[in-house]
Amino acid sequence: MGDEGKILKEKKKMGDEPVTISRRGFLKGVGTGTVGVALTGIPFVLPTEAIGALPAGVKEAMVQMQVNGSTYRVKVKSHWTLLDVLRREIGLTGTKKACNRSSCGACTVIVEGKSAYACSLLAIEMEGKKILTVEGLAAGDSLHTVQQAFSEYGGYQCGYCTSGQMISAKALLDKNPKPTREEVRQGMAGNICRCGAYPKIVESVLGAAAIAK
Amino acid sequence: MAQEFSVIGKKVERVDAFERLIGKAQYTADVYLPGMLYAKVLRSPHPHARVLNIDASQAEKLTGVRAVFTVADVPDFAIHKRATTPTVEMPVLSSVARYVGDEIMAVAAINEDLAEEALELVKVDYEVLPFVLEVEEAMKPGAPKLYPEGNVIQEKDDILVRGNIEEGFRQADVILEGNYKTNMIQHVTLEPRITVASWSGKRLTMWDSHKNPFRLRTDMARALKIKVNQIRIMTPYVGGDFGDKGAIERQHIITALLAKKAGRPVKLEFTREENFLACHHRYPTTWQFKYGAKQDGTLTAIQVKLFADGGAFYHFDFAIQAIDIPKIVYRCPNVKLEGFNVFTNKPEGGYMRCVGHPQGMFPQEVHMDRLAEKLAMDPLEFRLKNYARKEDGDQDKKLPFASIGLEECARRGAEQIGWTANWKQPGSSPGPVKRGIGVAFHSCGHGKITAPMSAIIKLDPDGTVEVLSGLTDTGGWQKTTMALIVAEELGIPVTNLEVTTGDTDATSDTGSTGGSRGTPSAGVAMIAAAKDAKNQLLEAAADILQKKKEDLEIREGRIFFKSGEASIPYGDILAKIPSPIVGRGTGKPPRNVTMQTFGAHFAEVAVDTRTGKVELLRLVAAHDVGRVINRLGCENQIQGGATMGIGYGLTEQMYFDKDTGISVNPSMIDFKVPSMLDIPAIEPIMVESADPFGPFGAKGVGEPPYGVPAPAIANAIYNATGVRIHEIPMTIKAVMDGLNSKKA
Repeated sequence: MGDEGKILKEKKKMGDEPVTISRRGFLKGVGTGTVGVALTGIPFVLPTEAIGALPAGVKEAMVQMQVNGSTYRVKVKSHWTLLDVLRREIGLTGTKKACNRSSCGACTVIVEGKSAYACSLLAIEMEGKKILTVEGLAAGDSLHTVQQAFSEYGGYQCGYCTSGQMISAKALLDKNPKPTREEVRQGMAGNICRCGAYPKIVESVLGAAAIAK
Repeated sequence: MAQEFSVIGKKVERVDAFERLIGKAQYTADVYLPGMLYAKVLRSPHPHARVLNIDASQAEKLTGVRAVFTVADVPDFAIHKRATTPTVEMPVLSSVARYVGDEIMAVAAINEDLAEEALELVKVDYEVLPFVLEVEEAMKPGAPKLYPEGNVIQEKDDILVRGNIEEGFRQADVILEGNYKTNMIQHVTLEPRITVASWSGKRLTMWDSHKNPFRLRTDMARALKIKVNQIRIMTPYVGGDFGDKGAIERQHIITALLAKKAGRPVKLEFTREENFLACHHRYPTTWQFKYGAKQDGTLTAIQVKLFADGGAFYHFDFAIQAIDIPKIVYRCPNVKLEGFNVFTNKPEGGYMRCVGHPQGMFPQEVHMDRLAEKLAMDPLEFRLKNYARKEDGDQDKKLPFASIGLEECARRGAEQIGWTANWKQPGSSPGPVKRGIGVAFHSCGHGKITAPMSAIIKLDPDGTVEVLSGLTDTGGWQKTTMALIVAEELGIPVTNLEVTTGDTDATSDTGSTGGSRGTPSAGVAMIAAAKDAKNQLLEAAADILQKKKEDLEIREGRIFFKSGEASIPYGDILAKIPSPIVGRGTGKPPRNVTMQTFGAHFAEVAVDTRTGKVELLRLVAAHDVGRVINRLGCENQIQGGATMGIGYGLTEQMYFDKDTGISVNPSMIDFKVPSMLDIPAIEPIMVESADPFGPFGAKGVGEPPYGVPAPAIANAIYNATGVRIHEIPMTIKAVMDGLNSKKA
């Protein structure tokens, strides 16, 4: 390895390394430190606690929330998102994780009557909140008008954005029961559909508005 | 062609609508097994570096880490290796990192946080090497070499000569040259790459977001040196594929072997950032075009040079796929095509919707538009004069097209957009916001019948039917299309069918849901299986009813007697038969023809010349689909493919920092896929040319709509503003640069 290699290695040690700051790292308050520590060989204290123990700075709490009309008491870590808790802890996997960065809308849920991205809400902040997910739309075997319309107009392809689309549609129609086509497009603009079902998603939402009358 | 069908061509709701819409459809991400571990992959921070040493000892000691996977664990198996270039292979882990994000080792831990923390404890010594990001640089002598053989591969099929190109240019009255470029983009499937592996004794069960479970199974067996029947692959629901999820990849082997080592199930789910880096991409291309034509518009010479930027790995011959387009769409006696595959230190090129063809269609359709203008011909008429007819077929393989509906696509599309009324002289639209329309043609070999294909149909005692298909539904409504085909053939309502896909134990191989081959290929086998089931049922009915088989007929879920007696539900017969009816079917690709698909798009844009913003007002997308089987599914495929193609043409691009090789925008915030507000109400036109080989005449349509919008929009922008853009994406900056240089 020539000088060039040595210099580049040195540069890395000084934190000139491409590092992504994970949400976990940010909450830990550690930032880029851990990478640099590992490379320079400064002794790193391994966590000695047993399984399920907490990384530094992370707390645990019991949270009580109402999801789709049922009450759940869940033990959560302070950095867990509502999305992870819904899917992994409560078992409601209908809400999907596609970007985990508030950039696509696949994880849209309704919290206290307003649509929100579950990937960007901390579970510990959901104490006492009323949450609606896609699993709460139907009443038994009876589909919600939004679900009926998406089925009739074919507003879905791979289905991964569909839960978020239908929840956004419900939130839109709850506020504006007779939207124009342009109002539908604006209201649904926070939900990406990579398959490109947009034309039929618009038809579905307009169709849902018509059914609901 | 005025054939009457019971259910073919109708609008029906999806057969699995209920479970999808109530959020119960189980995608791989939704699989949580008891004791399941989470895997994470350590990725190279360097675009080009030799891995000298990996010390994972601290990571292994971290409480909660259950297994690590390094080069010592890698089986003797290359992810891909071509016979023509055996030393240019992709191993399971890289000991020479060739792009930022390349896979170095992996861990499995009890939760994702601990897995990430474990990676941070892994010490890797890299020997950093010089790197290269651009094709032009990679081809220079002395450029950093990704492989000992160098950075350029040209296989013999990358050169095509037809007729005599010199003679072709001699015959031409008009010759036109042009250089063009297309962009590097990613599929951005909303469900990222994800694998779950679980061993029970010697048998391996995997869930994967994948469209080719049988091929994956065979390749996994080879990689792990176990028997094919010891592997079960489940792909019941897939959150988008678009070409990324059809082959065996490193994550499959890593996950399976981590699970074996740990003795627990393992899930490996890519983050969105990893998905941008470590998956396939649509490889960027650089083109040199030179076409010649007579004054009456007849093409006499097509000469094209292509440089395909395959990134870090040689997954397949990229160049061949892209030069397909200049040789197939238009008839021309003299053709010379040369393709080059070039390596750069970027994430790998690979398969993406309509592989290679969108890269070829943008430059060709812009070039044809420019040539039409030079000839003072209407661009639509110029194309109609020159497109390869049925008897022209594939001019190199000398095979006629089995069916062709391109003329009808063009005429109906032109009428719908108002071509004659709205096509004005380029740039003549008044005011700062200028309107224009443009056209582009499509013709390619995606959408045909290819092997393997097979199907199983079971008739249940209550008269309902189970359809077992190896064709994974990746979002193209494949399950419902299979149901419609069976329902039509058996003469029963679609609601009486249950379709099972995505389980290699329960179905039989019908190949990949790719190449737009799903409907035609799986459909042909489905009809054969339905005929077999019907035949068995008629025999059983004849036996029970003491009639001749020829005197009975199955329609509308009932058995009708030609002698005129009252019909009975065939469920009555099924309740009485001693052994179950299981219909089986396979199929074969047709010979001595080539099945080809066609399309024509017409775009209307409004370009704000003050800001460079292009608004797509209308897109009329006409496609020859052979036969519409599943109306809503077919419309969705056209609108969906076109939507992706609009993003390809206007906004999508992966950017790399030239000093570090790092991808600058591996996120959905910075890599712009179309949103609801970018897409007009795309108008699909479905032309039925009734292919003689397709099931009920159907051809595929999943891919063809993708490559046509970008050039149609480019030609519309020219019609509106008089500005020609030779490179996609046609961003606001590109449009403003064009407008400004026009003013200058």
